[in-house]
Amino acid sequence: MKGIAHFISGVAAASFCPWAIEAAQNGNPAFFILGAVAGILPDTIDFKFYRFFYHHEVSIYPEPTKLDPQPVADAVAAAVTEAAVTGRPVRLKLATIKTGVDDWRQYRVRIDPDSGEVRVQFGPVVSTGQSPQFGTLPANRPVAVARFSVPVKQSYEPVYTVDIFDGPSFLFQRNENGTVEIDFLPWHRNWSHSFAVAALLAGFAFLWTWQAGVVVFCAYALHIIEDQTGHMGSNLFFPFTKRRTPGLKWMYSGDALPNFGCVWLCCLLIFWNVYAAIPEPLYHFSFLRLMFYAVIIPFAAFGVVRWFLVRADKGHPETLVTEWDV
Amino acid sequence: MIFTVAASVLAGTVLACFLAILPGLHIYNVMGLIALFLYSLHGSGIAAMPEVYIPFMFALVTGWSMLNTIPSVLLGAPDESAIFTVLPGQKYLMAGLGYEGTMMIGAGSLAGIFMLVFLIGPLASKFLPIARYVLTPHMHWILWVIITFMLMTEWPKNGNWGPAGWRKFFAAWSTLGAGLLTFGLSGLLGFLLLYRSPVSVDNAFQNIMPAFAGLFAIPWCLLNAISGTEVPKQHVRDALNINSDLLLRSSIAGGIGGGFASFFPVVTGGIGGLLAGHATAQRDERVFMMSQGVSKVVYYTGSLMLFFVPGLFLTHGGGALIVKGLYTPHTWGDYYLALGSIALSGAVSFLLMSPLTKWTIKLIGKIDYRRISIFSLGIIVALVFTITGRAGLFVMTVAAGIGLIPVLFGSRRLNCLGVLLFPIACNMSGVGEPAAAFLGLLK
Repeated sequence: MKGIAHFISGVAAASFCPWAIEAAQNGNPAFFILGAVAGILPDTIDFKFYRFFYHHEVSIYPEPTKLDPQPVADAVAAAVTEAAVTGRPVRLKLATIKTGVDDWRQYRVRIDPDSGEVRVQFGPVVSTGQSPQFGTLPANRPVAVARFSVPVKQSYEPVYTVDIFDGPSFLFQRNENGTVEIDFLPWHRNWSHSFAVAALLAGFAFLWTWQAGVVVFCAYALHIIEDQTGHMGSNLFFPFTKRRTPGLKWMYSGDALPNFGCVWLCCLLIFWNVYAAIPEPLYHFSFLRLMFYAVIIPFAAFGVVRWFLVRADKGHPETLVTEWDV
Repeated sequence: MIFTVAASVLAGTVLACFLAILPGLHIYNVMGLIALFLYSLHGSGIAAMPEVYIPFMFALVTGWSMLNTIPSVLLGAPDESAIFTVLPGQKYLMAGLGYEGTMMIGAGSLAGIFMLVFLIGPLASKFLPIARYVLTPHMHWILWVIITFMLMTEWPKNGNWGPAGWRKFFAAWSTLGAGLLTFGLSGLLGFLLLYRSPVSVDNAFQNIMPAFAGLFAIPWCLLNAISGTEVPKQHVRDALNINSDLLLRSSIAGGIGGGFASFFPVVTGGIGGLLAGHATAQRDERVFMMSQGVSKVVYYTGSLMLFFVPGLFLTHGGGALIVKGLYTPHTWGDYYLALGSIALSGAVSFLLMSPLTKWTIKLIGKIDYRRISIFSLGIIVALVFTITGRAGLFVMTVAAGIGLIPVLFGSRRLNCLGVLLFPIACNMSGVGEPAAAFLGLLK
């Protein structure tokens, strides 16, 4: 899920703690801030600290002017082979290509275990919002193919898109069966996304008050549980396990509807919790009524309006769709 | 009476056209001056009719919030150097599509007017008083949580290449550190202005104006003037590259952002837009641009409209505060007057948008872009000096120094809003005075 969904989930977790509401009513926002911080902290640790110290044996920097995909494909295939032959883990990083203030050259890499191929192709220049820019797709877009002859097991998707900010990294590691396992973004959702770290941080908060410890643990653990609904999963039981527990694959982390649904639901839960804490409320409504007015009616109205608009609107906006041969 | 109201709305909208084209000029400054004029009229025994100045004020806010898109897209051209963070509207300008970009945001603004009048308008009096009743005791922590979100979600833009280690870490944190520094310094400036402002007490209602000019407008004009960007030839297309689905998604994202900002104290349209952008996870640049148009109108016009909602009468935002000094709404008639003024002014503003955009495109084609920026800079400095004197100029200069940090380091300019957020959040949590005493501002 996106950062805001985790963040507001942490706040919602805090709102379930009566002491957080009571403190807030007395002017103390600390428990809510703690919940918010703990809610987003696992990703903060990974993306703002740990990844900068994660070492890669192989870093691939494609030449921005030549756009030759063959060296990229060769380097990835060589890394897979090296991991299989030597038995040592190989960490590989695919660097992004920045072409302007807000422009990045996109490319895709497929690591196909069935055919034993790495296929690479360059695409258009995209904005930081990952929108393709008009007139930037290269006229000649060869697909580079490099082969490897070792068994490979994917733990994520077979196709990786490289475009903005920091490029993806991979850990190629041979297992006891001789198969090279591909670990996508090995520095992410590893030890930071575990219940042990949640308990450790809760322990630090416990030094202040036990209530703070409860808030921190719940918010942090909720982040980890939410991430399990995606594809990648997390290393839930570090330090007892070294691998991620696969996700439930219900959604992708960037999907708009689940993210918005989570944010909206959390906002309503917070609203309900602060309402329920009012001793003699001036207005009276039930939880079901709140959900009916704030979830059922708006989402149904959105669905109906969208259905009519899409059918009434014959014109489709010009949108760039890149075709890939990888 | 209806013709008087309509004439007043049209007059306000026409004035808003001129004011909106001037970059850096905020409509609240103009409304403040108009309020001063009305006070002086009242002092000399002439009472202006509320049926005249209330629609006029609504037209000013509505027209300005729709039409200030024109300078923000056409007069904010970026340089190709790395010191700029390019917004999608500016990218349209640099691709020769400034007209299309402006009209796309304008379409979003029109959708915002539609939401205000036909969706929020009828429902506001039923639901918002309940929301206000429940949330009022909790506003302080909501504000702190928003500040936390702003600071924790700044993305490291550097440190993407090279070997792992401290060098990479520090490169990444240059952006994040600049963001934190900007927020901290802006917050300190906010404390100074709140507790010991150098601006004269006579101009206290314009206290924050020089700081805003320095934090947001001056860095923009300065960099445009220095960079000497060549704006490419602009092309005018009859059709916009959008459809109903994109407009609907923009309306949802922008409506939530603008609505949130208009309801919660101190939260601005920019913050509302940031939160809604994250929450709705929209990646299409057209959705982003149109949602900005929706958000802007819903925030500025909506916050004034909420002051007129029966049973709510929420005073949030500079516009509502200024009008509150002149008039207290108390009937449904006042509310319908407000909604009617918004609808008429919004429609006229949208119709004016196309010719005004074409006129501005002609202007930037004839006059050197650098000269326009220097002219804008001159107007802002003159305005700050006229209203707040030399003390205001000093505040503006200090604020401009802070406002240049995010521009130079590529961090969020929204962090400059620490000038409002930090001191007010401290005050709402009851730690404002101790903090001011610690800073030596209460001696």
